[in-house]
Amino acid sequence: MTDHDPSDTTTAPRSRDEVTPDNPFTLPGFFAALDDGDLLAAACEDCGARLIPPRPACYACGGRDLRAEPQPTTGTVVSYTEVRTPPSALEGRAPYTVAIVELDSGARLTGRVDVPYDDASIGMSVRLTVRPLDDDERELALDHETDWPIHEFDSV
Amino acid sequence: MEPHVAAVGTSEFGRTELTGRDLFSAAVAEAFEGGPDPAEVVDAVYVGNQSESYEHQIMYGTLLAEWCGLRHVPAERVEGCAAAGALALRHAVEDVRSGRRDAVLACGVEKMTAGGTAGATNALSAAFDRALEQRSGVTAPSQYALLAQRYLHETEATERDLARIAVKNHRNAAANPRAQFRRETDVETVLDSDYVAPPLKLFDCAPVTDGAAAVVVASEEIAARFAADRPPVRIAGVGAGANNIGVADRNLTFVEGAHEAATTAYDEAGVTPADVDVAEVHDAFTISEALLAEAAGFAPRGRGYESALPPTDRSAGWTDTHLSTSGGLKARGHPIGATGLAQAVEVYEQLTGTATPARQVDQATTGLLINEGGVADAVTVAHVLTT
Repeated sequence: MTDHDPSDTTTAPRSRDEVTPDNPFTLPGFFAALDDGDLLAAACEDCGARLIPPRPACYACGGRDLRAEPQPTTGTVVSYTEVRTPPSALEGRAPYTVAIVELDSGARLTGRVDVPYDDASIGMSVRLTVRPLDDDERELALDHETDWPIHEFDSV
Repeated sequence: MEPHVAAVGTSEFGRTELTGRDLFSAAVAEAFEGGPDPAEVVDAVYVGNQSESYEHQIMYGTLLAEWCGLRHVPAERVEGCAAAGALALRHAVEDVRSGRRDAVLACGVEKMTAGGTAGATNALSAAFDRALEQRSGVTAPSQYALLAQRYLHETEATERDLARIAVKNHRNAAANPRAQFRRETDVETVLDSDYVAPPLKLFDCAPVTDGAAAVVVASEEIAARFAADRPPVRIAGVGAGANNIGVADRNLTFVEGAHEAATTAYDEAGVTPADVDVAEVHDAFTISEALLAEAAGFAPRGRGYESALPPTDRSAGWTDTHLSTSGGLKARGHPIGATGLAQAVEVYEQLTGTATPARQVDQATTGLLINEGGVADAVTVAHVLTT
């Protein structure tokens, strides 16, 4: 893991030399920041969209002026379901609840929710948690992904 | 040069001992029956194919060209998950339209049962964003369930409405000799089936299918060498559109990429949704048919779930279009890379009046096929066919 400065205000790479594994606009850089407790989005300077994980251009407006921005850890469930037939590696974990969560910043992402399906609902308040991979998740991981932490949500 | 559908063919759809190349052989045998040999006319081959994980085989372009008697033509596999078939068709159409080639074989093949349900689950998960979605353990049914849950929340639709779509498509499949499930079902059976990813149940989901389909796209002159007794079918419009790979980033209740694809295809063909007599939509899950009915302009927003109702019972603003007359992905079967071409086969049969009488739409002259890949409209390809 590379050290990550939480006050990071990195802007989207515009030269080849900037695309390095410690840049949060790459996946190794994004997960290093997440491991340090910061979920980063790319905030578009042109239209205000927030994109997780950060990438060098904004799909909403096409702009390339984006800035890495730590996101709030609280949000609400936009939609949810229960995985009953999981990928083989996660068989022992099923059934589990997954949701699309809108963070208080407006950024959205998919993740598992640590509540039973019947207790989940649209509009439910949740909080982001981050932890190292369990053994089954490690089985799913490629070599370059084993140190990347997993994000989940708890009900608030 | 205006591209025409010169000939079509499919394998049987379902579980079989035949391998991908054998399924292709069946589709080609049907397509070229009574016509010229492939080597006499075909200038290029495009193969829609989802995943090498089923058969541990890439290079499907080269392989299938060889298997139909071609050696030095340009041949390539096209990838776009379940939209691979229509992407292959689109390449063929563009080649003929540009005048670069006179006849192109667009085909698709998938041997999905090779790794059982787990094999298909794992292979399909490669279509999701690796960074956040795959690591969270989402599956194809759960991704569509996220769309369905939100749709049921925002509209007046119920699980019973979605069940009616499955029932309608099974009824159509019962009249389609090509279908994997040639049997009807009823709403209670659908509703009583186990949840796979709530609110979606087993009977809301398309099956795992082995199968291949082939469509010969050609100039009118070459098309006439195949079936002079049938009305020529023109490929009058094509549209394609992508959307975010991650579902979370999209409009969950309106498939914007599919709308873009359909609109482009209509504009090219000079038709409107009301002109469309038959449409094969990508009902990988029942919710997809509802969403696509709206995106393609057949239904008002929030009313696509009425697709199974007779036209007279649908809300104002619906067109009279018949949806998924083949039985759709749900009941005809969904051999991923072949599905977009299987859709073309159905519309071709409808427009040439060669569908079985029980599912033949009277005097159908305009058809739409709309094929999606990834989750919903991560990539969509639409074609308009006319007589």
